[in-house]
Amino acid sequence: MRMTIMRALAAGLLTAAASFGSAWAGGIPAGYPSSYADLVKAAKAEGAVSIYTSTDSAQAKALLEAFSAKYPGIKIEYNDLGTNGTYNRVISEAAAGQVGADVVWSSAMDLQMALATDNYIDLYVSPEAKALPAWASYKDMLYAATVEPIGMIYNTKALPEASVPKTRADLIKFLNDNRDTLRGKVATFDPEKSGSGFLHHTNDARATSTFWDLAKAFGAAGGRTYSSSGSMKETVVSGENVLAFNIIGSYALDWVKQSPNLGVAFGTDYTPAFSRVLAITKGAPHPNAAKLFIDFALSRDGQNALASNGLPSVRTDTDKGFNLATLNERVGGNLKPIALDEDLLEYMKPQVRVEFFKKWKASLAGS
Amino acid sequence: MATNVDNSPAVTSGSWVQPAARPPYLRRRLDAAPFRIGVIGTLAIAVLGPVGLIVYQSFLDGPFFSPRSQLSLDAYRYILSDPSFYEALGTTVLFAFGMVAVAVPLGSILAFLLTRTDIKAKKLLEILVLMPMFISSIVLAFGYTVAIGPSGFVSIFFRETIGFVPWNLYSLGGLIAIAGLSHVPHVYLYVSSAMRNLPSDLEEAARSTGAGIWRVSRDVTLPMVLPALVFAASLNILLGFETFGIPLVLGDPNGIMVLTTYIYKLTTLFGVPTYQLMAVVAMVLVLITLPLVYFQRRILRHSRRYAALGGKGGRTTSLKLGRGGQVLALSLIGLWLFVAVVLPIGGITLRAFVDAWGQGVNLMDHLTLANFDNLMSVPSLFRGILNTVLLSVVGGAIAVLIYLLVGLAGHRNTGLSNTVLDYIVLLPRALPGLVIGLAFFWVFLFVPLLTPLRPTLVSLFVAYVVVGLSYGLRLLQGTLIQVGPELEEAARTTGATLGRTWRDIVIPIVRPGLVGAWALIMIIFLREYATGVYLMSSGTEVIGSLMVSLLQTGAMDTIAALAFISILLTAGGLTLALRLGAKVHD
Repeated sequence: MRMTIMRALAAGLLTAAASFGSAWAGGIPAGYPSSYADLVKAAKAEGAVSIYTSTDSAQAKALLEAFSAKYPGIKIEYNDLGTNGTYNRVISEAAAGQVGADVVWSSAMDLQMALATDNYIDLYVSPEAKALPAWASYKDMLYAATVEPIGMIYNTKALPEASVPKTRADLIKFLNDNRDTLRGKVATFDPEKSGSGFLHHTNDARATSTFWDLAKAFGAAGGRTYSSSGSMKETVVSGENVLAFNIIGSYALDWVKQSPNLGVAFGTDYTPAFSRVLAITKGAPHPNAAKLFIDFALSRDGQNALASNGLPSVRTDTDKGFNLATLNERVGGNLKPIALDEDLLEYMKPQVRVEFFKKWKASLAGS
Repeated sequence: MATNVDNSPAVTSGSWVQPAARPPYLRRRLDAAPFRIGVIGTLAIAVLGPVGLIVYQSFLDGPFFSPRSQLSLDAYRYILSDPSFYEALGTTVLFAFGMVAVAVPLGSILAFLLTRTDIKAKKLLEILVLMPMFISSIVLAFGYTVAIGPSGFVSIFFRETIGFVPWNLYSLGGLIAIAGLSHVPHVYLYVSSAMRNLPSDLEEAARSTGAGIWRVSRDVTLPMVLPALVFAASLNILLGFETFGIPLVLGDPNGIMVLTTYIYKLTTLFGVPTYQLMAVVAMVLVLITLPLVYFQRRILRHSRRYAALGGKGGRTTSLKLGRGGQVLALSLIGLWLFVAVVLPIGGITLRAFVDAWGQGVNLMDHLTLANFDNLMSVPSLFRGILNTVLLSVVGGAIAVLIYLLVGLAGHRNTGLSNTVLDYIVLLPRALPGLVIGLAFFWVFLFVPLLTPLRPTLVSLFVAYVVVGLSYGLRLLQGTLIQVGPELEEAARTTGATLGRTWRDIVIPIVRPGLVGAWALIMIIFLREYATGVYLMSSGTEVIGSLMVSLLQTGAMDTIAALAFISILLTAGGLTLALRLGAKVHD
């Protein structure tokens, strides 16, 4: 354990040094309004920021440590509740008049959009918003903090790199051609059980014309569905499944570093990407600290911290891990981030949802 | 489901054991009435509040806190016309009965071997056979995946030696086998305490007329413990209806769904929460399980007649197994222990120390301690371990005191309030821990004076006490009932009040029993995972619920490390329990 502590200390020192070195004019980052010092002061007086999120604390560690190093007086209360847990808790607490979250940070882009349009989110114009692409924010309420490619993992012992499908059409053909050898050994998200899986699949259904062909090919190969990327990785690493598609590729880029028998691939014709979306709750107990946290998470330092933990930056001027530009290169040049707009709400309508599930089940059953 | 090792209603209190020992009723005096009514009333509020909320929620068309929600039967209509619901219901019934078919025969055989025969290493085995009961079923499920899943180390060994793997862990049959094997101790506990008190003269008579040992067990022993068997079977059906961890993990790949995982799925199905649908399924579970519990109470009443057949004072002598019998019996138990304990614990231990496994992976190359790094450096995980220990050790002690108060309120209480107490205790048993946790989350969110307690461990503690109520109370009632009524009567005739009698006579006598109960409650709280899923927040994380929430992203490295820690803590708790002389056997 001593190693761990040493490493944590070293990381803390590094980030502290980094933030010291960044451009601060009179304690205010360059490009920030001059009144920002008041915001920092007010946030420090609040002394805490409470975050409801779907991101594992291990993955947010670098960001949280960097924030604490920069603003030592502000304690972070980090609640990893999952996507649905986050949404449920925010609306329950709002109804009870007991708002506990300052910042809601969730990968369920659709649920975050629902919170924004249903009046649970406060307005805030982040000075960092200028550095983000236009699709990455919504009406001064929602800000995308990451851009994470949706891709495929495969077992390198069962599937040599040369035969890995490169495009969506290849994947469909591959599933159809190898139907018998792949039987029961292909995996993807179960959209009924996983909010992320639902987003990935429905986004495909909206953005491509071949999604249902893929679903049918998957069904015909006796594919199996899972409720998390991690459990799919476990089965692909162990050889139980040969490949898993539409999984969270940012995790996969990290996993392949440790597991020699795991490979990752992205569609060169089309690689969708989702974002973890930040927002400030209406009635937040620590509104100033919340603003400070969002600004920091979107800043170059914050984005570098996230990217160093495997969550690629939505900016293009960061140098750790992947950023929007380098990621696009890595996945073959056709990165298509899911935009933060009201189209996300389409699949929140119960009717549309039920229709989607029906069609999904029918495709899997082979009709 | 998650918590209770044992679902029997509190009223059972080990009364198989003392046939026909009903004490003469103490004069009912009013001096205990305020205490009884106070305790039972408080308990009623703590249980009926959240349960009532669930009932109310099931009759609405939206979350109960939404101003737009109205009274409606839509939720019932939706659930009762959803094919997935019936599929889940059917699977649950198969699952529960399948579990009984595996657990009851095995548990009875174990009980017979350990109580009626001269099997070797009896003392050690009596402890070992209970092991599966103390491991959280979610940990078991993860362990089995690594051991005997399609790419588990045992499966790979089979594939390499005989060319194929003769089982499929992710099938309904696989789930039933795993659940059945891990519920053997629940059957063993009941049947063994019934068998232990049977006088052996009847068996000896049969032996002396030349009947073989299996004939004796079938024609003599079995009929006499039949009520215990029926009781254990109904208990297992009850447990089967509420199992969550095993189907959550092992049912996922092939989409096998039972009612509890169907509830869990309802949280994501519509994107936004559909509490009314979850509440309806919870109601269905209550409607199925309450009659079962009622049925258990009835068997229990009859059992007294059965057990009285033997009379008292019969000396028990052991049947001789003989050399071949010993070998056969010991290898049977050994095989079962290997499958039910060694495989899952081995699996999870292995997974906790490697970063890759499966076909073609040399585990030696992947040994690592890195999985444990996060536990120390990520505050929430580290807190989760501390909180779990705190909640089990300190919370367990306070819980025992609470159960003692409740136990005293029901002690030698023959009034109406005791019947009320019985049913209050049963109610939380009939609901999945996940739903109870959610109901308590609401209670702590919307009841004005309670809101400051929500972000503290107190909220989890209260929910745990309610979820563990039936088991805890049964432990304490079992202890209280052993106090000879004549001691209490002596005190009363010399003019002591009931309170004084309890304080000066009953409590000092049961004190060793309390310590044992504390250790057992500690283990129950350690292994709990479902109740905290909705209730925990930053600062109140617990290991079990952390594993469920980590499962959403699938951080298996961290989950395995947490599961390993959980097993270590349980082992520590169990050692302590045995040191303190906990009577694991009822």
